[in-house]
Amino acid sequence: MHKRHTKTVTALAAVVAAGLALSGCTAGGDGNTTADGKTEVIFWQQKFEDYQQAWFKEQVDAYNASQDEVKVTYQVVPADTWDQKLKAAQAAGNAPDVATTSYGRIMPGVAIGQFAPLDELVDPDVLDDIQPNVREFVSTADGTFAYPFLVEPSTVLFYRTDLFAAAGLDPASPPTSWAELVDAARALTKDGVYGMNIAQTAADLGWSSWGLQYNAAGHLPVADDWSAADATDPAYIELAEFYRTLYGEKLMPQEAAYPYADCAPYGEGQVAMTACGSWAIGQLTNDYPDMIPNTAVAAFPSIDGDPTKPTSTLGGWTLTVDGKSKVQQEGADFIAWLLGGETEHLVDFFKTSGYSKYPARVSVSEALSADPEASANPFMQTVSEDIVPFSKAEPTYPWEIALSFATAIEKSMRGEDIQASLETANSEIDDIIEKQKLAGTAPEAG
Amino acid sequence: MSAIQANPQPAVFEEQAALIGADAERPKPRRSGRLNRSNLIAYVMLSPMVVLLGIFVWYPLANSVYLSLFEISFYEDPTFVGLQFYEYVLTAAKFWNSIWVGITLVLLVVPAQLIVAFLVASLLRVLSRHTSGFLKTTIYVPTVVSFVVASIIFVFIYRERGGLLNGVLGWFGIEPIAVLSNPDLALGGIAVPALWIGVGVTTLIMLAGMLDIPDSYYEAADLEGAGYFQKTWYITLPLLKNVWLFLLVTLVTATIQQFELPLVMTQGGPYESTTTPNLYIFNQFKDPTPYATSFSLTAALLLFVVLGTISALIFRFVKSDKAIDG
Amino acid sequence: MRTRIPNRIVQYVLVALIAVSCLLPLAWMAIAGFKGKTEVLRTPFQFFPDVWILDNYVAILNDPAFLRALGVTFVGAVAFTALSLAINSLAAYVFARLDFAGKRFFWIYCLAPMFIPGMAILLTSFVVVSQLGMIDTLWVLIIPGAASSLQMFFIRQFYLNIPVAMEEAALLDGANRWQIFVRIFLPQSQAPFVIVGVASYLVYWNAYVWPVLTISANQDLYQIMQLLRSFMSERSTEWGLLMAGSTIAALPTIILVLVFQRYIVNGIRIAGMK
Repeated sequence: MHKRHTKTVTALAAVVAAGLALSGCTAGGDGNTTADGKTEVIFWQQKFEDYQQAWFKEQVDAYNASQDEVKVTYQVVPADTWDQKLKAAQAAGNAPDVATTSYGRIMPGVAIGQFAPLDELVDPDVLDDIQPNVREFVSTADGTFAYPFLVEPSTVLFYRTDLFAAAGLDPASPPTSWAELVDAARALTKDGVYGMNIAQTAADLGWSSWGLQYNAAGHLPVADDWSAADATDPAYIELAEFYRTLYGEKLMPQEAAYPYADCAPYGEGQVAMTACGSWAIGQLTNDYPDMIPNTAVAAFPSIDGDPTKPTSTLGGWTLTVDGKSKVQQEGADFIAWLLGGETEHLVDFFKTSGYSKYPARVSVSEALSADPEASANPFMQTVSEDIVPFSKAEPTYPWEIALSFATAIEKSMRGEDIQASLETANSEIDDIIEKQKLAGTAPEAG
Repeated sequence: MSAIQANPQPAVFEEQAALIGADAERPKPRRSGRLNRSNLIAYVMLSPMVVLLGIFVWYPLANSVYLSLFEISFYEDPTFVGLQFYEYVLTAAKFWNSIWVGITLVLLVVPAQLIVAFLVASLLRVLSRHTSGFLKTTIYVPTVVSFVVASIIFVFIYRERGGLLNGVLGWFGIEPIAVLSNPDLALGGIAVPALWIGVGVTTLIMLAGMLDIPDSYYEAADLEGAGYFQKTWYITLPLLKNVWLFLLVTLVTATIQQFELPLVMTQGGPYESTTTPNLYIFNQFKDPTPYATSFSLTAALLLFVVLGTISALIFRFVKSDKAIDG
Repeated sequence: MRTRIPNRIVQYVLVALIAVSCLLPLAWMAIAGFKGKTEVLRTPFQFFPDVWILDNYVAILNDPAFLRALGVTFVGAVAFTALSLAINSLAAYVFARLDFAGKRFFWIYCLAPMFIPGMAILLTSFVVVSQLGMIDTLWVLIIPGAASSLQMFFIRQFYLNIPVAMEEAALLDGANRWQIFVRIFLPQSQAPFVIVGVASYLVYWNAYVWPVLTISANQDLYQIMQLLRSFMSERSTEWGLLMAGSTIAALPTIILVLVFQRYIVNGIRIAGMK
């Protein structure tokens, strides 16, 4: 009897163990070969506007048709689920071979070995075609870790010329200082239309206010070498007050019905002015064409009216090859073909975007400026002459730091004590620096 | 292991049985001959459940505990850090803030849910069969609505433009209120759909408990000339004790773990005022740094401990006073 | 209970109030689906549209992605429910009726998962399903959650109340345990199976986080709640369409409950609860 028990128990234990072994084994399989013997490259692309999706799909199909060695499997991932999906995939050891990565994510990724260096994988001439200032965003002393696709300023002022005229403001001279912007917003707020629209949640403020943080204080709320927080600069009080005035006086929507990156409130006619990224030009052109004749674009106002101070960071997208990918060469070849090869399809892309984004490659910029339509585009001129030259690169410290400072701004907007909020942010940032051992790890500032 | 086991009823079950007063009609011990023949068939019938739980619950749990001792990186070798992350989590102000948000949500939702459920159940008892059938089905309907759909409905209800709430306030000439953008109101705004979804089942469970109380008790009380409130206070409430306890534990643990509503409705804002523990853990999980991955894993394990503590406290608290045993 | 007339009136008023507060949000959602783009956000606010339009419902029902998500989620939910019932009722029977070596250990082993929050094993269970190659297949939605402690416990409570006499007779006739389970227990399981089955179906139909993690590449397998949520992020201006979509997504579960309402509403007798 006893024996029979032990036998069954052992058998059962064996079943469980087999199950566990099955789940514990790292037989992820190569999974890099398709049924018809091609090498498979998994490409995750974060979902953007419809016209961008159409362009990407078309290009991937063209690449797959252009040769018979490699099949790029194209997967679109919604922006709001991107982070958790990528992390889960990395944990399981099957991250995508090629992915869209924003500039701010490059350096932290390089620090943990997330990306394969492209120097060995891509023709040097192709890498040298990247705009020198943008190349700094994606390179360290160890090499180049991403191929830039485009840059786009995060913070641009859009305003309704017709409403300006109706309110007795001069559409030809948009506000240039924060004080003027607030006055204009007061004049424009009426008849169910808010004068202004700007980010109001910490998650949006986190990145959209970097340019204005530079604008106010000349630095970000962290020391250059990331050794300590620097969030209590008196200039930040003025920044917080600027946001507080807009929100507190109800010169802007009181609820975040749309994320900052979406300029629908302006397109729908709910606000007379809006801060948004340059990509909003593309959104307006494609979704709200009726608004375009009454829309003007200007650099976002500066704290004291000085137009040479930064107001914007240059965000944008690159393509990266995963550090653990088994098909790094094939992935890099695809990137070189898509972003580093012929310029024609890239010029088309920037045209379709309504010239709301800027190429990160010298030869594409040249091809674009040779295009009469582009040089005649008023929006493009404003952005490339008044905004881009003064813009800063996105900071590369952990997002939590940006969020912490943005939380202080949001608290100020909703009426909490400004000084206290900044001090809280300061001590939170110090705590992050200490726990994540950030002191001295700042990448060499380009 | 003895071949003959007389009714191995584990302690956990005693606890459970006590909890929900299960009148477990225990199987009579079989003759030993039959008993032994049960072994193999029992293991075979149990194996699907045992194997699945092993692969999808116990192994991941063990792995989580193991990984929480490391700073995880998916591209380099993980670094052994011992209990360091436990210290980080326990000293993180935002972790405790999220626990507090969870507890606040519990205080907003659970008492209201129990009281409303009790009142509705009392009403259901006195209704005619037909009407009570209709009402039972009606209050159960919101239960089946998913948190995602409920979030979408209530975001729309609270909207400044076109929202039901501000529309109704507008009839009375009240300025629109941006509920979900106000740090003092947002959690309350989330509590409403949580209550709306949960109250149906709570009511039906409460009613089931009430129907189990023998009518003779009430008849005796009637003879004594007791009024409605006296009957409620001296008969209904004490005899429902097990039901209250069961509901309290399940509702508290479920509510404190709520995270789909704030995830969709507010993303945890304005500034953390609606970041429940699970949402906090989930947001950490999304963060791309290795530090955040480890932090999130450890915080989830610690939340498990916190929940266990809360449940144990409720048990102790209620067990300590010996109520009339129905 | 003696009810006088005024009492009756009070009762009906209360019933109406409760019913309205339960159904109002759902009614409003369905009605908003009939509003045009400008009407849905108009101020001053109106409960009913001036013009009832079908466009939103037509558009959503003509959206192939939405229809596919409805279909795929339905198939998955039915499979999940069937598998859950099979696994959990077998275990419930074993714990209700059989004695075997290690019963105490296995009881705790099968019951304790009830108390383990999903968050604590989110990442590590993802790793398991990836290594099993389940990502982007229906299996990943069906198998991992099928074994449920709570359901097993519920069914077991029910089985404990089935009289032993019938089995005794069958045992004497030489039936084995398996036959007893199939011939005696399953036919009597209708009531708990409906309650537990509907619960399973709802859990699957309403799931959001797990599908988002595990179904990414294969858009043909997008689950309904996942689709609805991305819809909300991407078409932030089309509330009428979103409300129509939410209505259609909520409808199958509401119908399910109405069909089985008799069982559910009277079946919650918390297995032997006093």
